[in-house]
Amino acid sequence: MPVIDNVTCPVCGTLCDDLSVTVKENAIIDVKNACAVSEAKFMSFSNPKHRNLRPLIRKNGKLIESTFEEAVEKSAQILVDASYPILYGWSCTSCEAIRVGLELAEEVGGITDNTSTVCHGPSILSIQNLGIPTCTLGQIRHRADLIIYWASDPYSAHPRHMERYTAFSDGRFQESEWEHFVTRLRGILGRRRLNRASELVLMKEASLPVFSGQKLPPKFETRKRKVIVVDVRKTHSAEFADFFLQVEPNKDFELFQALRLLVRDGELEVNQVAGVPVDLLEEVADALVGCDFGALFFGVGLTMSSGKLQNIDAAIALTQDLNLRTKFVIMPMRGHFNVAGANVVYTWQTGYPFALDFSQNYPRYNPGETSVVDILSHDKADAGLIVASDPVSNFPRSAVENLVKNPLIVIDPVISPTTMVADVVFPSAFVGIEVDGTAYRMDRVPLPMKKLVDPPSLCHSDEEILRRILHQVKRIKQQRRKL
Amino acid sequence: MTLKLQLIKELRVPIDAGCICPDTFAGKSLNEIAELQIWEGNRKRLLNSLFELKEDSQETPDETNIHLTGNLSRVQRIGAGMKGGEITVQGDVGMHLGEKMLGGTIMVEGNAGSWTGSAMKGGTIIVKKNAGDYIGGAYRGSTKGMQGGTIIIHGDAGTEVGCYMRNGLIKIQGNVAQFVGIRMRNGTIVVQGSAAERAGAFMTGGKIIICNNVTSILPSFSIDSIKSKAKAEGEAIKGPFYLFIGDLADHGNGKLYVSKNKNEYLKSFEEFL
Repeated sequence: MPVIDNVTCPVCGTLCDDLSVTVKENAIIDVKNACAVSEAKFMSFSNPKHRNLRPLIRKNGKLIESTFEEAVEKSAQILVDASYPILYGWSCTSCEAIRVGLELAEEVGGITDNTSTVCHGPSILSIQNLGIPTCTLGQIRHRADLIIYWASDPYSAHPRHMERYTAFSDGRFQESEWEHFVTRLRGILGRRRLNRASELVLMKEASLPVFSGQKLPPKFETRKRKVIVVDVRKTHSAEFADFFLQVEPNKDFELFQALRLLVRDGELEVNQVAGVPVDLLEEVADALVGCDFGALFFGVGLTMSSGKLQNIDAAIALTQDLNLRTKFVIMPMRGHFNVAGANVVYTWQTGYPFALDFSQNYPRYNPGETSVVDILSHDKADAGLIVASDPVSNFPRSAVENLVKNPLIVIDPVISPTTMVADVVFPSAFVGIEVDGTAYRMDRVPLPMKKLVDPPSLCHSDEEILRRILHQVKRIKQQRRKL
Repeated sequence: MTLKLQLIKELRVPIDAGCICPDTFAGKSLNEIAELQIWEGNRKRLLNSLFELKEDSQETPDETNIHLTGNLSRVQRIGAGMKGGEITVQGDVGMHLGEKMLGGTIMVEGNAGSWTGSAMKGGTIIVKKNAGDYIGGAYRGSTKGMQGGTIIIHGDAGTEVGCYMRNGLIKIQGNVAQFVGIRMRNGTIVVQGSAAERAGAFMTGGKIIICNNVTSILPSFSIDSIKSKAKAEGEAIKGPFYLFIGDLADHGNGKLYVSKNKNEYLKSFEEFL
């Protein structure tokens, strides 16, 4: 049976590229090195219950099977007739498809935005404000001796991040903390059992076995590779950490500013900040300054809580302040496997990373005005094209209501709430499984995605579908010019 | 002379109407003004396809007045870069009102959108109801917010009022949301109502006066003194006020005046005086 090695995983921004996939008769029968999320995708992507297998067009309120040509013609008509169409999604497809999508957006004079608008868009705005002291994940794997996960839960969202790039990876200059963690885990499990027993016997609620409290744990400074998790609740990742710092919800900004002041040897006139005592904060600031190479990973918990981009401004400013005393880097934990690629392609093509407005024939950029959620919430758009995304599930309700009012075209391999309310549905092939392409990891390293199996007969790649729509749009516009 | 523009169409997509400006209208005949181009989404339109025009204009920009009526909440960039004259709006108005304006007056009877008076250098904007976010702010990527002039909002304002402000005066008679005076370097912001948290974040200079309640003070601010009055562009505002200095995390020397009587919880800071 052919085994394909070094397969890049098309799930999260960690973009693990060491998977081994076994293929038999155009079906994937085994996958190695994958996390649970990745394995679930590889083993069940072809389930026909979840997939769009034919082009569909809505007629008399119902989605009816149609031909590919008919769907292309209908889509092109919708886009050419629109005065302010939105083209949204792009994070779960290849850079090659995004490039065609941008040409289409320019041709139809539309708004194009990628999913970073609802995840790390604020991070991008901050990076434009202040710059970003960062590096590749390889550097962190080999050198980082202090790792902070702030408002992100890699255990759940990027399951192999710690194993491949941070605490549990064996770097050239830093050893894996895996054995140390396993020993600790045994202790944790033992304590859990004890707690459970005490729950049953004493009818008392057990405390969570996480290292947190009013002081850093003893010998924290002397440990080789340390992990601190900062979050509003005790996440699974907090269990892996050497120390868990609990911050009051929506108070991260205050905590960053206080830490910045302490790192610069300033004094605070309050006893606690964001629920953290100042004494503890001073210890944390000492630990930050005392490391040789620190890395701060932050998640959507920062970008989408109160303060948004200002939280990231403060986080980047803290990293810059720390670089006056030691070496420190910062990196956003990107979600979808190619959301970083969407930003890269957008920037390379137009100069701006997301929220682009082509309505006046040149790219304009002003998140808050040209970002899709703002446009939809104020009901300014009059048509939509969604590629490899499901905004109906995760946009604010008012935005969704306005999105579905308009003619809607969806290109997606799977059946989703968005495809159910669409007017035209294109079945597409899975990038990284059924078609190849390029994707960018969260540290903006491009990696090739492999084709492992053939797609179903009527499922084309996103790139192919977009090219056909673009071609048709150009033809219709040419015809109208002649008239 | 006054030129009256009445919106004759219900708008769906945003309109870019940067040409609605006394300087652009000055010296043009009514027919020439009617044929000025505006953008309706991705379509170019003539001004008279959306507005009914009456009266005529005069040659000197200082004497050109524009009177707009209708729901203009989707019409953007009205009065952009204006140097003189007057614009009055009966109704709501969209984003970027009076951006980069140098002189003249804009009076809005309704609400104004975000980025009102962004990067303005002179003139006056008065909004009788509420305004959106980034009032007197800067554009994405720019560090130059409002550099002169006056903005008066009679109602409430959104987040980041006076972002990257370098000079001028912003007066909000209602309440403001988070981050008032963020990254400001100079100038004055007066808030008659209350302010949400994080006032003056990253500020390095300038003055913010909050006459009512403030949700919290950033830990990177230090109390300086208690003042009986605060001065705002020649006008004395009665206190007493706590005066905080910050943002110390950015080596800032901005002044944040917060009403003493309305913020009892700040009493604990008095021990540091």
